[in-house]
Amino acid sequence: MRTDEKVIKEVTGIQAADIEAALDPVEADGVYRDSRQCAALALLSGATKLLLSPPTPRPKKG
Amino acid sequence: MEQSGTSTRLQAAVQDLASGVVSALRGGDHAHVVPPAGTDGEAGDLALAAVRVLGADALLPGLLSRTPPDPAELAVFRKAVEAYPPRADAAPTVRWSHWAMARTLRRADPSSAEPPDEPDTAWLDDATWQFVTHQLAVLAPLALPGEDCAVSRLAAGRPVDVARGFVRAVRRRDWRQAAGAGRWLTLLPGVPDSVGLEAGLDFVELMGGQDPLVALQVQAARRMRTGARV
Repeated sequence: MRTDEKVIKEVTGIQAADIEAALDPVEADGVYRDSRQCAALALLSGATKLLLSPPTPRPKKG
Repeated sequence: MEQSGTSTRLQAAVQDLASGVVSALRGGDHAHVVPPAGTDGEAGDLALAAVRVLGADALLPGLLSRTPPDPAELAVFRKAVEAYPPRADAAPTVRWSHWAMARTLRRADPSSAEPPDEPDTAWLDDATWQFVTHQLAVLAPLALPGEDCAVSRLAAGRPVDVARGFVRAVRRRDWRQAAGAGRWLTLLPGVPDSVGLEAGLDFVELMGGQDPLVALQVQAARRMRTGARV
């Protein structure tokens, strides 16, 4: 452990790595919305224009 | 990846602190949310670390409402700034977060030291719109009315990219990223009307607002849309 890390740990009891990890998070894995939630969004948006709804799934040809 | 116990406790402490900020931004609590100093042991350590992780937003309610800072609250904030300086090899978001805290401390208490020189934005120079949006969302505490720093100037130059990133984050159900990007979009010029920002923020709050870190960004965006200044 580096000296500055030791100092921080002595002062706070928290590992600097924990803090830095919280301040530099990786992007969360995406979980795409289902159709029920798309409908909720459409209701919520009312007459406004939104680009949030994914395209309607269509059967593949061939 | 499994998180350490310390990391889990730290996240819980950050969420608690964020809940207080949300309450204050909604006007349901006084504007001071940083826990008072004097708590010893692990609880005090966690509280201090939580202030460092939440960053400049820990003082956001008082800043937006122009409420003079409570000296005890300011002392804890200052201690968090001083106890957790970024290491030389720290990630850009860590360095910018610390800079934002130092800047906020100076705003809240002009007798504080000048903030250090701004870090650079070289890591975003050729970044994709997806990465730019993610990093800006992490640095959402820098999204303030009238803020002039390299990150805010970079964001102002990429409103369409951030708008695309906001839509992408919503579709991926990454509510924290969506809320942070939405806060930036509230302030950026040139955001396409077609993004439906207001309804989009409502939806983010509806779906992710039980997470205080999401609610904080949505409330901050709303306050700033109503013209709150720092």
